[in-house]
Amino acid sequence: MFSIATYFSVQYLVVLLPAAFGLYAVLPQKGRRWVLLGASYAFFWAVSGKLLVYLLFSTLSIHHLGLWMGRLQAGRDQALAAAPKEERKALRARWQRRLTGVVAFGVVLHLGILLTVKYTPFFATNLNHLFQALGLGWQVRIPAFLLPIGISFYTLQGVAYCFDVYRGKIPADGNLLRLALFMSFFPQIMEGPICRYGDTAQRLWEAPPVAWENFLFGAQRILWGMMKKMVVADRLNLFIRQVFWNYAEYDGLVIALAAVAYTLQLYMDFSGTMDLALGSGQLFGVTLPENFRRPFFSRTIGEFWRRWHITLGTWFKDYVFYPVSLARPMKRLTTWGRKHLGPHYGPLLAGSVALFCVWLGNGLWHGAGWHYIFFGMYHFFWILLENLTEPVTLRWARRFHVNREALPYRIFQMVRTGILVCVGELFFRADGLRAGLAMFSKMLTQFSLATVKDGTIFTLGMDKRDCLVVALVVLVMLVVGVLQERGHGIRQNLARRSLAAQFAAGYALILSIVILGAYGVGYAPVDPIYAQF
Amino acid sequence: MTKGKRALALLAFFGGLLGILLGLSALFQPKNNMSEFGMEEVSANGILGERRDSVDLLVLGDSEAYSSVSPMELWRDRGYTGYVCGTSSQTLDYTLELLTRALEDQRPRVVLLETNAIYRLVPAQKLVFTPLASRLSVFRYHDRWKSLGWNDLLGETRFTWTDDWKGYRYYATVSGTAPGDYMLPTDAQEEIPLRNRHLVEEIARRCQEAGAAFALFSAPSPVNWSTPRHNGIQALAQEMGWDYLDLNLLPDQVPIDWSRDTRDKGDHLNHAGAVKVTAYLGDWLADNASLPDHRGDINYARWDDALKKYEGVVQSG
Repeated sequence: MFSIATYFSVQYLVVLLPAAFGLYAVLPQKGRRWVLLGASYAFFWAVSGKLLVYLLFSTLSIHHLGLWMGRLQAGRDQALAAAPKEERKALRARWQRRLTGVVAFGVVLHLGILLTVKYTPFFATNLNHLFQALGLGWQVRIPAFLLPIGISFYTLQGVAYCFDVYRGKIPADGNLLRLALFMSFFPQIMEGPICRYGDTAQRLWEAPPVAWENFLFGAQRILWGMMKKMVVADRLNLFIRQVFWNYAEYDGLVIALAAVAYTLQLYMDFSGTMDLALGSGQLFGVTLPENFRRPFFSRTIGEFWRRWHITLGTWFKDYVFYPVSLARPMKRLTTWGRKHLGPHYGPLLAGSVALFCVWLGNGLWHGAGWHYIFFGMYHFFWILLENLTEPVTLRWARRFHVNREALPYRIFQMVRTGILVCVGELFFRADGLRAGLAMFSKMLTQFSLATVKDGTIFTLGMDKRDCLVVALVVLVMLVVGVLQERGHGIRQNLARRSLAAQFAAGYALILSIVILGAYGVGYAPVDPIYAQF
Repeated sequence: MTKGKRALALLAFFGGLLGILLGLSALFQPKNNMSEFGMEEVSANGILGERRDSVDLLVLGDSEAYSSVSPMELWRDRGYTGYVCGTSSQTLDYTLELLTRALEDQRPRVVLLETNAIYRLVPAQKLVFTPLASRLSVFRYHDRWKSLGWNDLLGETRFTWTDDWKGYRYYATVSGTAPGDYMLPTDAQEEIPLRNRHLVEEIARRCQEAGAAFALFSAPSPVNWSTPRHNGIQALAQEMGWDYLDLNLLPDQVPIDWSRDTRDKGDHLNHAGAVKVTAYLGDWLADNASLPDHRGDINYARWDDALKKYEGVVQSG
């Protein structure tokens, strides 16, 4: 059977994507949208087989829920238009309750499916631990579910669609196929980005004709992503696996290096996959939302999360943070806070409750495990601390004449943020919370330079040359990142150069993947990390 | 840029890329078939160093092949020249590549394929990668960038190394088992994955083109073999008109003592088991293939040298 494991597989890069693109290029517009839909369902089938029924069910029910809300909204508008002015408020509230009931039903249904298939084993295991701790002889059976690929991503897209229809931001879509294409678009269903209906659905359905520039830029972006994944992320894998599996054997320095290496791997793997997804989308003339904006230039943890997995962050902001912080009890809390704690700390109270919900959700979204919850709480703590200490920091900076925009200070902030992120990722990657704590403790108590001095650090899966390759690519990415931060469009600049320069850039990229890629004998490519979430 | 110019630019780009990849392949290709030169699977690739047209029997397959057939036994007892191109967890795409490489310099009269690899699914990835890597070796040997020297740039490719064990891997360890009757009669048939079947047929076709008789054999292995698998291979062999020897069903002719003749509880044979299998295959070859006896031929003096080393090790082991 034709099956696909990752976007970096031959099946995707050599078979599905070129076949879909070739067909798309030769067909008229009406046919093109069918190519996209057909390729999307073929991709899902190739990854998850019969679990395609989950996607079908989600698509059909989200479509139906949207229409249901649309009918209620139309009914409400008609009733309001016909009702006397003094009755309108009560009438509006009555219709609103119905609408809220429908959206709540939809959210509970879809998040319920996600929670059931993804988290039931976690909850059941913890329940059994609790029964055991209480000395009760009860045990619940731990079920095992097969997870369809991308369920965490398309569920969030579907829920966002329901909320947007409910809020009247977008009209309910009567076209089931357009919604189906939005829910299933193959370059992004496995690892995101999490798209919004209002941004991508219509563009996908329009199926614009193939354009030379899109083809060129899309192909370049795909190659750029392949380089990140195959040259760096896969190369780091041997070292990371070695240290995380056998952390008890290593000192604090090795563990610290493994934490940095894992953070880098996660970035290269995930952002590389995003490059591939966005590049694939661009081939078809579809601009998918960016998921990364040079996160390691962040000066605070808060900023880091506005630059890392951006579409997940904005999803939580729009559908968790704002609804929670703008709920009636929270508004009352804010009013009380302003009165008693002042204009900075007052609103922080309600904001912090909403932030807690966001980070609990964010941690759990990444996986069913206490270390994921810890990961969420870890970031919640740092962002809360940043919010709480901001007035003090500003006061101190003024008092000591610290120029917060000066380069050395910015670099200090970036390094500090980077260290905090690496520690968070250590817990994220560790095999459970206990292992994470043990590794962190080793970093503080058993720090030693011995493995570097005697060279054993280069025997843990990466020799000196491997390290050099990683350093070189990181340097290239740093230069590209600085240019992008300054507003330079690399691909746009390249397109203005001579054909020879464009050829040279293309060859350099392809040959770096062919020669320096960590594939073949002796390497074990990392599984797509975010596809597991 | 007009459409025509764009098409030309694309053509020029890919043409240039192909040229660069061919150049790099010449650079990255190991210049000798030893591990020091970056050659992979040196034991199986030792055949590249054998004198031209000197190997009459070629054995292909995975670890079952290199654990159960000892060419030096055949040389000593019958004067047959055999070589085992076996590698761990071999998939049929790689079997085909090893065969193709071997046939460049050798004209074997018989090719035996051990059947365990037929049931190892060839990943779709490899169907593209293996043929690509065999034509553009930079894909297979790209990691040699770490050790490239002037010799790789200027030197000629000359495969000079030969394996004295002729691809056989010697294990004297005993880790017995009591498998019972693992080949119980049944009509059940384990299906051969479609792409694997195509590859076996391609291997057979290449052998036919090279004038070699092609046959299948199943080495004794209670861990890996079963009657449904036997039935699947039997049906294929029958359909294609190939000889098939299932040594799991011949306890009288190949009397494997599972308490002594296996090195890992029935997964693979050890040397004692390999000697029994090789003896049976020698009889079968004598009856079914007219392989020449090269003993005493001055051109094969190196085989006698290898035999001395072989016997030195197996007798002391």
